[in-house]
Amino acid sequence: MLKKTTIDKLPELAACLMEKGTLVAPVKEAGGFNFRAITDAAQVDLIFHNTILSPKTVFFPQTEDFVRYSVYQPILEAKPVEPEIRPTFLFGVRPCDVKSFEIMDIHFTRTGVPDPYWRKRRDATIIFGFAFDTSEEADPAEFYHTLGIGAADPDGSDVFMLRRDDVLFLKAVSPRGENLLGGLAGLTDAAPDERKYFDDYIAQGHDYKTRYTCVDAEAIAKEFEAIFHNTDFWTKVSNACLSCGICTFVCPTCYCFDICDETQFGQGVRRRVWDACMFTDFTLEASGHNPRTQVYQRLRQKICHKYSFHIRKYGPISCVGCGRCTRYCPVNIDIFSIVEQAVQAKWYKRM
Amino acid sequence: MSENNPYIPMPVEISKIIDEVDTHDIKTFRFTFVNKDDEQKFVYLPGQFAELSIYGKGESPIGIASAPTDAGYVEFTVQRAGAILPGLVTSALHDMDEGGRIGLRGPLGHSWPIEFLEKKNIVVVGGGFAFTTLRSLVKYMLHKDNRSRFGDITVIYGARTPGLLCYKDELAAWEKRSDIKTIITVDKGNETWTGREGFVPAVCKDVAPSPENAVAVICGPPVMIKFTLPVFFELGFSKENILTSLEMRMKCGIGKCGRCNVGYKYVCSDGPVFSLAELEDLPRDF
Amino acid sequence: MAISFEQIEQHLKTEALKLLESGKVILVLAYGRGYDANHPMPYVAKHPSDVDNIVFNEYCTANLARYLTRYPRRTKIAIAVKAADSRAVVQLIQEDKVCREDLVVLGIPVYGMKNFKTGEVIDSKTTGGLYNPVLYDILLGEEVHGQPVSSPYDVLAAYEAMDKEERWAFWQRELGRCIRCYACRKACPMCYCDPCFIDQNKPKWGEKSPESPGNLMYHLTRFHHLAGRCIDCGECSRACPVDIPLYLFHKKVAKDCEEMFGQAAGMSIGDKPVLVNFRVDDSDKILE
Repeated sequence: MLKKTTIDKLPELAACLMEKGTLVAPVKEAGGFNFRAITDAAQVDLIFHNTILSPKTVFFPQTEDFVRYSVYQPILEAKPVEPEIRPTFLFGVRPCDVKSFEIMDIHFTRTGVPDPYWRKRRDATIIFGFAFDTSEEADPAEFYHTLGIGAADPDGSDVFMLRRDDVLFLKAVSPRGENLLGGLAGLTDAAPDERKYFDDYIAQGHDYKTRYTCVDAEAIAKEFEAIFHNTDFWTKVSNACLSCGICTFVCPTCYCFDICDETQFGQGVRRRVWDACMFTDFTLEASGHNPRTQVYQRLRQKICHKYSFHIRKYGPISCVGCGRCTRYCPVNIDIFSIVEQAVQAKWYKRM
Repeated sequence: MSENNPYIPMPVEISKIIDEVDTHDIKTFRFTFVNKDDEQKFVYLPGQFAELSIYGKGESPIGIASAPTDAGYVEFTVQRAGAILPGLVTSALHDMDEGGRIGLRGPLGHSWPIEFLEKKNIVVVGGGFAFTTLRSLVKYMLHKDNRSRFGDITVIYGARTPGLLCYKDELAAWEKRSDIKTIITVDKGNETWTGREGFVPAVCKDVAPSPENAVAVICGPPVMIKFTLPVFFELGFSKENILTSLEMRMKCGIGKCGRCNVGYKYVCSDGPVFSLAELEDLPRDF
Repeated sequence: MAISFEQIEQHLKTEALKLLESGKVILVLAYGRGYDANHPMPYVAKHPSDVDNIVFNEYCTANLARYLTRYPRRTKIAIAVKAADSRAVVQLIQEDKVCREDLVVLGIPVYGMKNFKTGEVIDSKTTGGLYNPVLYDILLGEEVHGQPVSSPYDVLAAYEAMDKEERWAFWQRELGRCIRCYACRKACPMCYCDPCFIDQNKPKWGEKSPESPGNLMYHLTRFHHLAGRCIDCGECSRACPVDIPLYLFHKKVAKDCEEMFGQAAGMSIGDKPVLVNFRVDDSDKILE
């Protein structure tokens, strides 16, 4: 089922979704675009390349409250916080970011103790994937194609969208998406030639090249294991690193968090808050021991986590090539250039 | 969200506080469960840990010092931390009295591999306050229902001074038993100390436990471990038969918060117990 | 006079090579190629063969003085500095964080530097009205003269037009967007505290959550820690992933300092940092 609407009717579609639940979509704000819960249907803006923060914020917000307490009250008075989770429509997610959800699922819910917050938020959400504009030149910071993700890859979306000038096509990919699209007013059926355009676009999305091609996750993982203790290498690639948290905060697959008790005037909330392995005190123990006092050790942790540990523990590379870490790094450190240097050009070939 | 939420602690009450050492900064806290359901759910084995949780202060991962054979309560031996980061939780706990209530999340992590230890001779080596989960293991093995499942048990336990030995009454009781060989040593004795003097590695060399069908379970300060391991290699223990427990800074305790990894393993959920063979497979990043 | 970036790059390479070959320094803090030509990176050349990797173009905005405190004392370092960066070096010397005799300062006279994220020319925001370094041992090219100079405080016009309430609302709004990635303090050459006050937990000065009280506590305290010390390189604002105009506050405080105490940060090695230097004739305006 391929449906369509026009860009100028986007507010109508938005309003329709807002009636059914919470609509989260890209919004232009100071500094760039971000996914936000929409309060006014006119806010939805699809003329964007990608957001600053990844849409992981929807399932894994920067702060998630666990318990409210009072330091004057006994522990039995502490109240678990019931997160307000309504049916949610996550609108306009780029294919590489959609892929990140699947990678995060492995960590949060498919292995070990399931994380109830991720699960509930994820289950409540219908994802509207949105193809990159392949008529534009590829963004130099991005490399999703290198990691096997197409610019118009509908995998993992419930509904997949594609913009052609002022027309927006919407195709149901999952049964949930099918159900939803069928019941949305204001959409019309696409014509046969449009269906062909849509299918061709998706097929050609796989040929839309970003930086490099062909990556062998297993081989990369092994390569990083082999050079883990090569301090010269890690010092060299981390010389410029400021050890700030940008790369991890904007990353769609970084999941580290701290659990903080934040008390004001005796009333407090225990919550999780994003943390970053790039911060000096991330591994500082109460004894004073810190296994990662040096910048190179922290950058090594970050890169090896994504390109080695994660592969060995969970299978896939924990990176989708969205390019945010590279784009927002204040000193232009590029994660894939480091991968490239680490594997000494053995496992990829230039496009 | 409160049902089976791994981030929400269960309430426990301090039923007993034992001042372990003469510096008064290590105490054993005995907790009873406020809700009987929680007691049923808190099924653990020696070597596991739990998060002690005090709202407004935070959480602190601590090894379980009691044994599952101790019915009705659970114990933790806690040092008041704070060399660099003030140990907010441990300080607050040390300031509490019997009857006080805190939160408990757990049990967490993997235990000492009990099935693997069965029918083997067990050499337990501990130093200072890191003896807690070893105490749990020894108590568990010595229990009348369990003693026959294990071979010879040797305990080598050391502290800097006699006053810094934990669980003094139990050590005395073990020394009197014939089904366990207990060797207590201190780095430096005092006028009333009649026992051994000497560092743990030297005592291990002296005692020279046989590697035959034996497993060494070692916990202690890093410097003790560093010098003890070569002794056991020399005695002929294989890397698979030397076990230890790692410490890293932890938060969630369930392998989600990403803090305590050593290579591809999370110390909280994949450990904290590792054999030396397993550790050799990990990068030296701890 | 047009700036020739190629020429600066050539000078930089030549001097770096001489210094490394002669053993006068063991490392040169310069710029190297990033993932493409528009995205150069801070680069550390340690061997004569590294010198080939050095680049210089209009996107080499990073203030390399940030890295000086990373190396132990008595490490002989050559550092490439633009005007504002040289002021950071001076300020660090004043604060006894680096030793003058450990440094070979390679001064870069330049204007027309651009933000690599936006392509915007950043002279008016970040040069402090200077195109020539205030401290150097070797100048890579000729001093810039005759280039129109705008006051570093011109960009404050709109901010200063706001009254107290408006400014408070402005900062609450702007700082409310902060995600607490701490890129601002990490990019800042003057933020070398270890640990930073905001990371302490006893006393805990501010919460970790990116919410108003903690955000205000972090930024307002940092603003004040930098009073009289900020050398106007603009790195904090450029590093910010959500484009918070932190430079406005720093500039405003710098302007106040200059008006009250007649001194700008990092202009002369002989100066004392303005807030640690009590003079009987100091302005009392700060107390009003």
